[in-house]
Amino acid sequence: MAFNFNWSPLIADTDRVRDMLTRSLNKSPKPPIIVDDIIVNELNLGSTPPELEILEVGDLAEDKFRGIFKMSYTGDAYLTLKTRVQANPLNTYLSNKPSFASPQPLAASSGLTIPLQITLSDIRLSGFVILVFSKQKGITLVFRNDPLESLKVSSTFDSIPFVRDYLQKTIESQLRVLFMEDLPAIIHRLSLQMFSTEYQGTEAQEPAKDQSGQRAPMDPFASPAQQATDSFGQPLEKTYASFSQKNLLRLAALTESQRTLSLFTPSMRDTVYRAWASAADRNELSNGRNTPLHRPTLSRIQSTVGSHSAWSSSAPSQASETPSANTRPGLASFPSAPTVYSLASSAPRSRAGRKRKNRIINLRKEKVEGDVSDVASVSSGYPESADCSATGSTAPSVEAEPTMYPSARVREGEISTPPRSPRKKVGFQQASEPTRLTAESASARRPVTPRNTAPMQVEDDDQTPRASMYLPKDRNQTPKAEPRPSRQRLTRMQTLPTRDKPPELPRRASDLSIHSLGAASSGSEGSTGGILEQAWMMRMANEIARKVAEEKGRRPTWRAGGDEGEVPPPAYVS
Amino acid sequence: MLEFMDYVQAAFHAQSCWNRDNSYASLTTTAHHLLDFPIPQGIRLHISSLSSSNFASSYTLGNQGVVDGSLSFLYTSLGLRIPGRSSAVHLGLFVQGYRQLTALQQPVVSKPNGVARDGKDVERKDALLYGRLYLPTSTLEALYLRRISPARLLRIACVSDSGLPNGGSILAVLQNDFGKYSTEYLYSTDSALLGMRGLYNFGYDPRFPDLYASGRPPSPPWDHQGGRLSAGAEAYFSPLNKSGGISTGLRFTTLPTHTGFPYTMTLTLNPLMGNLSSTYAVKAGPNLAFCSRFDFNVYSYESDVKIGMELWSRQQPSADVAWATSMLRPDWKRVEPDANGVLKATVDNHGKVGLSWECRVKELLVSLGAGFDLQKRQRMLGNVGVERPGGDEVRVAGNPIIVLNMRHPPTGKHYTSTSGTTHVSHAVKPVNPTRAVPSHRHEPGIIGDEIG
Repeated sequence: MAFNFNWSPLIADTDRVRDMLTRSLNKSPKPPIIVDDIIVNELNLGSTPPELEILEVGDLAEDKFRGIFKMSYTGDAYLTLKTRVQANPLNTYLSNKPSFASPQPLAASSGLTIPLQITLSDIRLSGFVILVFSKQKGITLVFRNDPLESLKVSSTFDSIPFVRDYLQKTIESQLRVLFMEDLPAIIHRLSLQMFSTEYQGTEAQEPAKDQSGQRAPMDPFASPAQQATDSFGQPLEKTYASFSQKNLLRLAALTESQRTLSLFTPSMRDTVYRAWASAADRNELSNGRNTPLHRPTLSRIQSTVGSHSAWSSSAPSQASETPSANTRPGLASFPSAPTVYSLASSAPRSRAGRKRKNRIINLRKEKVEGDVSDVASVSSGYPESADCSATGSTAPSVEAEPTMYPSARVREGEISTPPRSPRKKVGFQQASEPTRLTAESASARRPVTPRNTAPMQVEDDDQTPRASMYLPKDRNQTPKAEPRPSRQRLTRMQTLPTRDKPPELPRRASDLSIHSLGAASSGSEGSTGGILEQAWMMRMANEIARKVAEEKGRRPTWRAGGDEGEVPPPAYVS
Repeated sequence: MLEFMDYVQAAFHAQSCWNRDNSYASLTTTAHHLLDFPIPQGIRLHISSLSSSNFASSYTLGNQGVVDGSLSFLYTSLGLRIPGRSSAVHLGLFVQGYRQLTALQQPVVSKPNGVARDGKDVERKDALLYGRLYLPTSTLEALYLRRISPARLLRIACVSDSGLPNGGSILAVLQNDFGKYSTEYLYSTDSALLGMRGLYNFGYDPRFPDLYASGRPPSPPWDHQGGRLSAGAEAYFSPLNKSGGISTGLRFTTLPTHTGFPYTMTLTLNPLMGNLSSTYAVKAGPNLAFCSRFDFNVYSYESDVKIGMELWSRQQPSADVAWATSMLRPDWKRVEPDANGVLKATVDNHGKVGLSWECRVKELLVSLGAGFDLQKRQRMLGNVGVERPGGDEVRVAGNPIIVLNMRHPPTGKHYTSTSGTTHVSHAVKPVNPTRAVPSHRHEPGIIGDEIG
C-alpha cells in the first residue's frame, strides 16, 4: 500500500488559503492592542513537505479514508502578518475598563498606532494527526495533541526585548489555538469547496439525463421505487439499475411460475401481483387485451375493496346468462368475496393503502366507468377462485376491456390537458347506464339499493388497485417505449394460452349485452333479485358507508374534493 | 445632555464652592463639550426626582439589548437648592457647551446658614453618596465625595461587575485646590495604577489679592487682565504592568472681563507617544460657538482634524418687555434668557458627522442625536427616530423629573451608523402627599419649582 501526497499544488494555491487565514484571524474579537485588521501578507508553504508516518488506517475505501498519522514538519514555510497595534499601554489598559472608575487621563492615554509586521518562520511541528476523508463530507483533519514545537517570531520590534518576548509568547499561544481549532475548520471548508465545485458541474448535467433517460426505466416500478430515487441525485441510477435488472428477472421467474400451475406460487403472490398490476395496465393500454392472466390477480386485489361492486357487475352478467346461472353466481360470488378478502387481504390491502395517495389524483372523475371495469374484472376473478360458472364469469371479464379503453383515454387526456367535454361525455355514458337501469326499474325495489351504493362504491374504488393501474400510466406516458418491450415479452409468453380466445367471443356479446342490458336486466333482476341479495346488499351498503365515514375522518380534505367531483354525476343523470 | 445625577453632583460642587475647572483633568473641557458630545443611542427614558434637598433618585429605562435600565440614588449632606422641575431647570445647566471660566477665587467652604457656634465657623465636611445599579448586567456603581477641607476633596468611585478582573475596581482621587495651583493624586486598585496631576495658573494669585490690586509691574502679554494662562501635567504609573504615561498641557482662556469675544486655546502634548493636540474654541456670539481640534502624532505622522459648533436658540423676550430690554445699557448686567434648544454638530476629516439637538419640549427635556459616516455610503445614515415624549401621561407622586431618551443601537461597530435620540426630562411639581395625584402640569396652579 502506498500513498501519494502531492505537495506542489498546495503551494500553488496559497492565495485562497491566505484569504481564509485572514478571514479567520479577523473573525474573533481582537485584543484592544490590535487596532486594525490582521492581514496575512505572505504565505509560503515551503518546498519541503511534512513527514507523515502512518500509524493506523481505520477505514479505507475508494471514497473514504480514515487514518492516524504521525506528522513532523521541519520545513521552510513562513508566514507574514501585517497589522497595526496600539503602542500606548495606558490606552489599551483603559480601553476595556468602565469609565466610571477610570482615571480618565487628559492626554496620557492618547494613542499611537504603529504598523506591525510579524514573520513566523522556522516552524517545527510534530504531532498526531487524525485524517478523515469522505467524498461527501470532505476532509476532516484534527490534531490529537498540540503540534507546535517551536517557531521563530520576528517583528518590527525585535530590537526591544520586552516586546519581542511578549509577541513570541502571544503568537505561540494564538498559533496553538489556530492549529487546534481554526486550521481543521479551514481545511474542511476548503475541501468542501473543492468537492462542491466538482459536483456542480456534474449536477448541471444530471437533471437532463434524469428527464430523458432515467425516468423511463423508473416507471415500470411504480411509485415506491421512484420515491426512493427522487430524494437523492446519485442513488437514482443505482437503485434503478438494481431494480430493473434483478427485479425483472425475478418477476419473470414469478410469472413463469404462475404459468406452470404449480401449487408453490401462492406464497409469492403478493409480490407478483404488484408487479403485474402495473404491467397489466400498460398492456391493456397498448394491446387492450392480452392480459387474461393478469386479470385474475387484479381482480383479486380489487376484490379486497371492490368486492361489493361485484353485485352490480353480477347483475348485468346474470342478466346476460340464464336466470338460474345468475342466481347462482350471485349467491356464490358474494360469499366468495369475503373469502378472497381473508386470503389475500393482508398484503394487497397494505399496498392499496400505500398507494392511495397517488391514486387519489386520477380517479375522481372516472369512477363510474371505473366501477364498471372493476366490476367486470372482479366478476371474472371469482369464477377462478370460487369455481363458479365459467362462461358467465368470463364474459364480463372480457367485456370489461372495452369499458377500460375509454377510461384510459380519459386519463391520458386529463394529464395533458383536461378537455372537459369529452371526459364528461364518457363519464356520462358510463354513468347513464346504471341510472337508466334504475330509472327503468323504478318500480322494482332493486334499483333503490344500487343507487345508494353507487356513490359509495366510487369512493371505495379509489382505494382499489385499479388506481395503481392508472398511476403508472400517468407518469410513464413518455417513457413507455423503453420498459415495455421487456414487459411485453413476458406477458406475451404468458398470454399465449387459450384464455385469449375465449374472451374474444364473449366480449362482443358482452358489449352488446351491456348496451342492451338496461332493459333486460331490469326485468330479470327485478324478478330474480332475491331477499338474500337485497339483504346482502344492504349489509354491503352499510359496510361501505362505514368505510366511507372512516375515510372521511382520515382525509377530510381529500374527501371534500372527492365529494364535489362525485356530486355532479347524479345531478347530471337525474 | 447631562444626566440628572450629574446635574445634582454639579450642583453639589457649585454649592460647596468647589471649582471643578481648576484641575488639569478639565483643561480641555470646552473642546470636549463641543467636539465629543455624547450621541444618544436607542431610546431611553429617565425619570428622576429630587424628593428632598438631600435625596435624589433616578430611574432609567432603555432599549439596548431587550430592555435595560438602572436605578440610582443619591444622598448629600448638603442641602441642595436647585430647581427640581424640568420646566424650571436652566437648559444651560443640562447642556454643556462653551465653558466660560471665571476669575479664580480663594477656595472656601460653604457656610452653614446662620452663625456658627462659639463665634467661629464650623468647617462643614459635606459628603455625597451615590449608587447606581444597572439592571440586566448587575453592574453596581458607587461614588463617595467628601470635602475634607476647604481646599481638599476626596472622591472614591467603585465599580462592581462580575465581568471585570477581580470583580471590580476602586478609584480614589484626592484633589487639592489652592486657587493658584491644584494637585490631584489618584490610585486605582486595577493594576495598582498611581497617578498625579497638577495645574498651575500663571498670573493672578487669589490667595494674595492685595498683591494684584496694588500696582504691579505691567503683566506680560499672555497675562493680560482679560485672560488666564494655565499649565499642567499628569503622570501615571502602574507598578504591576510596569507601564505608564505622561502628558503636559497649556491653556489660555479669556475671562469675563475680556472685552472681545471669548476664546480658549489649549495645547496638550504626550511626549512619550509623540502626540500633539491643539484646540481652539471661540464663542462668536451669545448663541454661537465654534471649536476645532488638530491632533498630530510626530512618530506615526497620523493626523486628525475635527471641527464643531454649537448653536443656541434662545427664547425671544416677550414684546411687552422688549422696549425695556432695548433701553438697557450695554454695560449693565443682563439676565440671559433661557435656551429653547441647543444644536451641536461636528465633522472630522474621516467623514464622520455627529449631530445633536437638545431642547425642551413642553416640560420634557429631549435630546436627539445622529451620527453619520460619509465614507461608508451604504450605511451612511442610521436610524433617526423622534419620539413624542410620553412624559405627559406619567404622573408620579413626589416631584419627579422624567427624562426621555431615545436611541437606536448602532448597526455597526462604527459610531457612524447612528441613530436618533430623544432625551426628555420632565418634572412635576412637588405635590402634597395627601393630594391624590399631581395635577396636570399645564395646570396653572403648579408652580413649585424650587425644592428644599
